[in-house]
Amino acid sequence: MKLVLIALRNLNRQKRRTYLLGGAIAFGILIVTLINGFAGSFVINVSENFSQLLAGHLFVSAVERSDDGRERRIVGDEQPILGALEASGVPIVTVTRRSDFSGALFFQGTSVRQNIVGADWTRERFLRDRLVLVDGSFENMLRTGADGRRNGIILTRDIARRLNVEIDDRVVVRMQTVDRQQNVGEFVVAAISFDPGLFGQLSAYADLDYVNELLLVPAGSYQTIGVFIPDIQAIDESAETLYAALTERANVFPRTRGSDDPENPVAALFDSGDDEEWTGTRYRLLTLNDILSEVQQIVLLLNGAALVILLVLFLIIMVGITNTFRMIMFERVKEIGTMRALGMQRRRVLLSFLLEAGFLAIGGIVVGLALAGVVMFFVSRIFMGLDSPIFILLKNGYFTFRLLPVQVAMNSVIVTILTVLAAYVPSRKAAQMRPVDALRA
Amino acid sequence: MSIVALESVHKVYPLGRTEVKAVNGVTFSIERGDFISIAGPSGSGKSTILNLIGCIDTPTSGRVLIDGNETGGLTDREITALRHRFIGFIFQSFNLVPVLNVFENIEFPLLLGKETANRKDRAEYVDFLIEAVGLTQWRDHRPNELSGGQRQRVAIARALVTKPQVVLADEPTANLDSKTGNAIIELMKRINRDLSTTFIFSTHDPSIVDIADHVIRLHDGVITEDRRTRDAVPSGAAGK
Ligand SMILES: Nc1ncnc2c1ncn2[C@@H]1O[C@H](COP(=O)(O)OP(=O)(O)OP(=O)(O)O)[C@@H](O)[C@H]1O
Ligand SMILES: [Mg+2]
Repeated sequence: MKLVLIALRNLNRQKRRTYLLGGAIAFGILIVTLINGFAGSFVINVSENFSQLLAGHLFVSAVERSDDGRERRIVGDEQPILGALEASGVPIVTVTRRSDFSGALFFQGTSVRQNIVGADWTRERFLRDRLVLVDGSFENMLRTGADGRRNGIILTRDIARRLNVEIDDRVVVRMQTVDRQQNVGEFVVAAISFDPGLFGQLSAYADLDYVNELLLVPAGSYQTIGVFIPDIQAIDESAETLYAALTERANVFPRTRGSDDPENPVAALFDSGDDEEWTGTRYRLLTLNDILSEVQQIVLLLNGAALVILLVLFLIIMVGITNTFRMIMFERVKEIGTMRALGMQRRRVLLSFLLEAGFLAIGGIVVGLALAGVVMFFVSRIFMGLDSPIFILLKNGYFTFRLLPVQVAMNSVIVTILTVLAAYVPSRKAAQMRPVDALRA
Repeated sequence: MSIVALESVHKVYPLGRTEVKAVNGVTFSIERGDFISIAGPSGSGKSTILNLIGCIDTPTSGRVLIDGNETGGLTDREITALRHRFIGFIFQSFNLVPVLNVFENIEFPLLLGKETANRKDRAEYVDFLIEAVGLTQWRDHRPNELSGGQRQRVAIARALVTKPQVVLADEPTANLDSKTGNAIIELMKRINRDLSTTFIFSTHDPSIVDIADHVIRLHDGVITEDRRTRDAVPSGAAGK
């Protein structure tokens, strides 16, 4: 029908006005799409970054409890875990083994408490991609001392500054073994890492064998097994199946979500708070999502904020649209009267104006989405640096955006409905006018 | 049966505390195929009467019959459909749709109805009308590129495109110089003869009044003269 043509040509009539309104719609869509796109990739990037620092997406640790009630956090027998992994059919990229403790580091009279993670430096290549060194090198971590031990340590810049240490300085560590005995060791500063300082402090990294030695963990044992799966989106689902398989083979802690201490998400790994009566070995399954549950909340918050911004922005834009359409009606009242006299029904008059509003919305949305695409394209090509304070939000130092088609569709529908709604009241008024009054105006 | 009939029609407009009797008890009838002039000075009620005949306005009291049917009780939807089917409009200030070109303006009323002929027949008829009003070379131009006389020709073609029984023209020549105005009246007269379409036009130009077969003269909303100068077009095409 010609109505479509008329609506389009009418939009073209007052170009400046159309561009202004369409531009406002485009701007709203642009902002909201950017926020959605950022929020969409935010959780993935943060999770990926943390998965590499924590060495896995799924983590299994174990607590051994003797008859007299003493507990040791140690995986003495990894067979139930490996068996459950195989039986569950969870796809696995790689498996890591780590131990860690919280100890006091001493250097020339100053001391600092720090969490120290023991990793297998010959195998955990990804850690090298994720840690950004400001001094020293990863190669230093592979050096062996006079006693044949690999006792290098990577400290964060903050800790290094507080201890006032440089590369090759020796720091003493005092800590507790798995049996709660005091123990003392010595590390050589191998490198200093950049700490983005978001979501808690970065740990210090040392060699797994030496950390085990300090913890008095028997050779070949460790504290946590980390599992990388191919799809970060499948964490919860994989955890379910792994948990089921693990319960068939061993005593397992009930699944709990989230960490009690949001300042230190890693603490969740150590938490054994449970009053049940049991002895022997009990396993615990944690996922990256459990640890980073607050990240999910941030994403919900971001998307919620995007929706609120969309609505607020469009309530403002709607006022503009309503006023503009009121003006349009005023300008075209004689045309409306003419068309009505010629036999155009009221609903068609209404429809022709709603079509005009609809096309305006669609035009604005298309332009807004295109602009968002351009902005995302360029922003995601700017290298923010690996030592950027927002590094943990980025993917290898780059912004990434991830948009769900559903979200784009929803935004578009909301904006179209709001625009048409804004035009409805003045349009209806125009359609209701008596033709004789319209013609005389 | 008369194609249009008004029976003791009154139209009263409120004006401050008092009221204006724009049409004050008017009764007349119009025969099929007539070329009628409604004459009278400014403010005498010409436009009001044409609006009532055109069913874009309703009387305060009295009856307006179109083709023998009372229009009083009809809904807006029915009235609109009646206008579309039965009546063509020519306005003093042409009232073309500015975003449509000559062809599209003339075609426009055809797109408003339910039963639309196929695209090709439609286009042929529109082009026939464009030729009849002498605008073939302006077919694809928009109204703002045309002169007043040309615009009024487009309006005439538009008024005729639905093959209405009655064409109403409220001072169709008022915005034109006298030469162009005369040509427009001539064109209307020719179409009246050729298609036996009933034309009702208002004017206060005495020279134009003379062309009419039937003159209705108004003063202060009252008929002062209702005179047939000639019989309606003596042709079978006028129908009954
Ligand atoms: N909407 C209205 N409200 C109030 N008064 C009106 C309205 N329309 C017309 N009138 C009055 O009704 C009377 C008749 O008006 P009408 O327009 O029919 O006259 P006319 O013969 O067409 O005059 P003209 O030659 O100037 O066009 C006038 O006094 C006019 O002021
Ligand atoms: Mg008038």
